[in-house]
Amino acid sequence: MFKYVGKRLLASTITLIIILTTVFVLMRQMPIEGYFDNFDKVDQAVINAKLEQLGLRDPMPVQLKNFFAGLLRGDLGVSNRYRTGAPIASIIAAKAPISIQMGLLSMAVSLLLGIPLGAKMARSKSKLWDKLGTGFIVFINAVPAAVYYIYLQSYGSKALDIPMLFKPDSAISWVLPVLSMSLGSIAYYAMWLRRYMVDEMNKDYVKLARAKGVATRDITMGHVFRNAFVPMIQYIPSSLLFTISGSIYIESLYSIPGMGGLLVDVITRQDNTMVQALVMLYASIGIIGMLLGDLLMVLIDPRISFSKREGVR
Amino acid sequence: MSETTKTPEPVLQVKDLNVKFSLRGRVLHAIRGVTMDIYRGESLAIVGESGSGKSVLTKTFMGLLDQNGWVDSGSIVFEGEDLTTFSAEKDWLRIRGRKIAMVLQDPMTSLNPLKTIGKQIGEALMLHQGLKGEEADKRIQEVLLDVGIDEPARRMKQYPHQFSGGMRQRVVIAIAIACQSQILICDEPTTALDVTIQAQILQLIRNLIHKYDLTAVYITHDLGVVANIADRIAVMYAGDIVEIGTCEEIFYDPRHPYTWALLSSLPQLGRKGEALYAIKGTPPNLFNEVVGDAFAPRNPHALNIDFRERPPYFDVSPTHRVRSWLEDPRAPKVEPPEILKRIREQGGSLYEHC
Repeated sequence: MFKYVGKRLLASTITLIIILTTVFVLMRQMPIEGYFDNFDKVDQAVINAKLEQLGLRDPMPVQLKNFFAGLLRGDLGVSNRYRTGAPIASIIAAKAPISIQMGLLSMAVSLLLGIPLGAKMARSKSKLWDKLGTGFIVFINAVPAAVYYIYLQSYGSKALDIPMLFKPDSAISWVLPVLSMSLGSIAYYAMWLRRYMVDEMNKDYVKLARAKGVATRDITMGHVFRNAFVPMIQYIPSSLLFTISGSIYIESLYSIPGMGGLLVDVITRQDNTMVQALVMLYASIGIIGMLLGDLLMVLIDPRISFSKREGVR
Repeated sequence: MSETTKTPEPVLQVKDLNVKFSLRGRVLHAIRGVTMDIYRGESLAIVGESGSGKSVLTKTFMGLLDQNGWVDSGSIVFEGEDLTTFSAEKDWLRIRGRKIAMVLQDPMTSLNPLKTIGKQIGEALMLHQGLKGEEADKRIQEVLLDVGIDEPARRMKQYPHQFSGGMRQRVVIAIAIACQSQILICDEPTTALDVTIQAQILQLIRNLIHKYDLTAVYITHDLGVVANIADRIAVMYAGDIVEIGTCEEIFYDPRHPYTWALLSSLPQLGRKGEALYAIKGTPPNLFNEVVGDAFAPRNPHALNIDFRERPPYFDVSPTHRVRSWLEDPRAPKVEPPEILKRIREQGGSLYEHC
């Protein structure tokens, strides 16, 4: 087990280095105009000085070496365009909490609603609940999210009699953004759980369980649900970790001061250090999320094992 | 070999049972008026080709028909109760596992892959005998030993994927035994296993039936298997029992042309250089109402009346009944195919049980 995790971590580090190098080099291929607000009107001497200051004049290997050396010291660097001179760590520290809180809340809501919905749909397959649920899932997947987000915002705020925009201190103003964020994943969890449960219900072991006298309710909970949840559990850690990235659209719709859209923002403004820091953050989250997902699978599915087969047959 | 000289006591009585399924808006008549008794302590084999209704018939004993199927008419009397009147799951839970247990065809899929086999056996013990904890563990190890699994204390903590196909079927049998029911239904228990394992599993089931004093119903399409295990044989065709009798009667004195055809197709009867016998045509489509004898269109000996009217049962002996017009005194004399004589010649190598 430890050997496996060690191997995976090593592979992950290499992946991360490759990603960071690629992004680092790509950012340097952008036209230098992007580093200035009014490039045409800026004096050549100023341009030179700025490029020098950003370290863009050094040969690429030297720039890379400096970057990784900084990372090793735990130094993410300072923002050089987005909020010039501000340490990146503090920028993220200011924005991340609200996105994480909102993301976690929305995830809790999605699981609490999506899982029972999926289970109910599977249990009443091709009956009323299944049809209603399918209608909901099709709606959520077919209609562009932006459309129902806007409806939810305008009608929701009217119905609840609250301002359209978000206020961190007012609990009720969390309702609409969290709900908007949840709808997609409710549909997602419900759809896949229903599908996996229906798959499991048709398996022979369910027939045998019925034949040995287990009540339907106990079969659904004790056999079917648990087995159906295995393939879903793998993605839970990633979803949890990615709550930090926030939602571009919802955060701008309700003007929530979160992480959503930050990456896009700093890319368009060519804030190299910010881009690097965010890419590193998101890539690490992706890698760790997958690793945790795999470990979780091992914990709950006895058929998966790290060690070589014991040769029982 | 059957030493049943005392009058057999029926434990389960099926009377004029009709089962229908609705499929894509059409109605399929899967069981067409089956009447039979199952006697206490006997081993009854139900044979017939795929789709003849063998499995469906036994599923009605446990209320395990698929959702689109229903008992249309008839009765199944077990311990003084008519099982066809059961509608609530609560009623069936008194029967399933507790009174009638089942072994399914494919051991590779009939166990839950995520639960240890100890838990899966324990589930049955808990339900039917209320055993828990150490008591249950002890009993689990006993039944595992019963089905020939060594080191039960270690094995009960293992998962199905750590067992081979034959071993898994032993576990499935252990679950059925753990229920301590009266009737054991084995739905093609060896079809998914390879030949060497088949014999072991059949022997095991025979031993356990003896040890636990069970009534057994085997469903199979393998007459070789039947010969080895059954006291009585019921031959099913197109949702009906066309012939039922003791093992000897069916093998040595078959009367229904379908039974003849089925026995003639036994590969064991083939001789080198001779083409193996195969029944021509296909079974009737049970979406349509069958008129006359269902086998008539494939029957080279069919009489005119076979196409018009369904034959009643004729008693050949007190234990042997046939649904064929050939048994009518007015019918012309038709000799069974020559090849069937080889069963007597080969008797020993075909089976040694009855």
